[in-house]
Amino acid sequence: MARVIVVTSGKGGVGKTTTSASISTGLALRGFKTAVIDFDVGLRNLDLIMGCERRVVYDLINVVNGEANLNQALIKDKHCDNLFILPASQTRDKDALTEEGVEKVLKDLEHLGFDYILCDSPAGIERGAVMALTFADEAIVVSNPEVSSVRDSDRILGILQSKSRRAIEGREPVKEHLLVTRYSPKRVEDGEMLSYKDVQELLRIPLIGVIPESDDVLQASNQGTPAIHLKDSDVATAYLDVVARFLDEDRPLRFVAYEKPGLLKRLFGGK
Amino acid sequence: MADASLQGKLIEFKGASLAVMTAYVRETDAVRLADALHMMLGGMPDFFAGEPAILDFSQLGTSPDRVDWTAVLSLLRRYQLQPVGVRNLDEHLQEGARRAGLAVLGAESFSAERPVAAAQPRTPPPAPAPAPAPAPAPTLSPAPVEAAPQAPVTAPSDNGLAPTLVVDRPLRSGQQVYAKGGDLVLLAGMSPGSEIIADGSIHCYGPLRGRALAGARGDTSARIFSTNFGPELVSIAGVYRTFERGIPQTVAGRGAQVRLTGSDNLHTLEITPLQYD
Repeated sequence: MARVIVVTSGKGGVGKTTTSASISTGLALRGFKTAVIDFDVGLRNLDLIMGCERRVVYDLINVVNGEANLNQALIKDKHCDNLFILPASQTRDKDALTEEGVEKVLKDLEHLGFDYILCDSPAGIERGAVMALTFADEAIVVSNPEVSSVRDSDRILGILQSKSRRAIEGREPVKEHLLVTRYSPKRVEDGEMLSYKDVQELLRIPLIGVIPESDDVLQASNQGTPAIHLKDSDVATAYLDVVARFLDEDRPLRFVAYEKPGLLKRLFGGK
Repeated sequence: MADASLQGKLIEFKGASLAVMTAYVRETDAVRLADALHMMLGGMPDFFAGEPAILDFSQLGTSPDRVDWTAVLSLLRRYQLQPVGVRNLDEHLQEGARRAGLAVLGAESFSAERPVAAAQPRTPPPAPAPAPAPAPAPTLSPAPVEAAPQAPVTAPSDNGLAPTLVVDRPLRSGQQVYAKGGDLVLLAGMSPGSEIIADGSIHCYGPLRGRALAGARGDTSARIFSTNFGPELVSIAGVYRTFERGIPQTVAGRGAQVRLTGSDNLHTLEITPLQYD
């Protein structure tokens, strides 16, 4: 059985696509056959983050409309053999997504033997976002440690509870995970940011990880390499931890405590 | 094609009783009414969700010379109330009401006189009527934006008790729940931007952070209880309070109850800490 995971947030710019790219890569690195679908029709980004923008021929809408089959549209990732990307259309709008069409794409992916299907949701609560979460088994709710992001995440959790197939059919609810991204322990210490505990207290769903704020993410995006590939960086380590926790392994939280820079560090600078 | 036997019956008449709300109008000046409605319902323009209503003028102080029906009706319709008729209206005003499209009803057409409660059907229903509990007739249900998740509605009473609505997942921003005719119990709290409404009392285990309105049909004895108090707005029977300057220290984040004190026209909202050990 393929597990469908939606990466969603409500608010834009919080790190959904970065997270989709890194977690799908992480699952593929663990040996799972993984597909990642960009639902942001009209504003596609995932192909850039994954560095496959020059290989896009067919897209999700072509498949939904029967203009191409899945094998033609799926792009094999350049880093991992088990990972495939289904890009969004840049020229169509979100109304082109139909529930039947999306359901068929997900069914077909399952028949192709995929273990995990990640749906990278667009921001907002409109059609694209609802389509991305409709068939989800699990949801990774990405939130930044600030109030408006938390409020929007809360809204999307409500939509998940009312519009997902699992909710409508009265099955076991979608399994929810909270991922706090762009976290800066120093700014939390200084009282400029909510702590991850505050965020969790407000949203009341299990925490799957905290991703530290880092310049590496921007650099990775520009290179078209998912951040999880950045060897020895805090961000990559944090995402690897998230994937491990997703697979029910125990990992302590890292990068959440603020350590005052020591004397040497202050004297000689350093990151 | 319609059934042959129905050919000759393009219209058919059957007796029916309609449950309507009675609006006791104590003022006919549209401006002052508008102020009062705004105070009562604030930013909820679709509060009545198309509810039909009879305007009762029995409690009108001094009868005015004329009434600007157009203004009054458009005001009520703005809140999605549908006035269908008037009663207890002075004779010299009746013609105006008729011209405004309202039915002028005689006082004898009604049996129920309890303010806020529903008008009961004139002929008793075959089954024993549910006893004193608020009749479940007028649905105030403000069309849910996103209906409560799995709203486990308890079957309407045949034992005379008002149904209690229990919600056992967290209520999220943008969600709205209405417990018609009875109490509402939240087992996992509510988030900012959500709204709960009950005709009876509200019991919230977990954080109360959105808007909570108890006694929505005017029950002044309704209360709001919470184990973690921090709402955006609380209201009981239309008397409301916001917390622009923050939640009082004595109750913020703690157990608290909200109730109305004082008598008829001088109700005040009282928020007190809950003692438990």
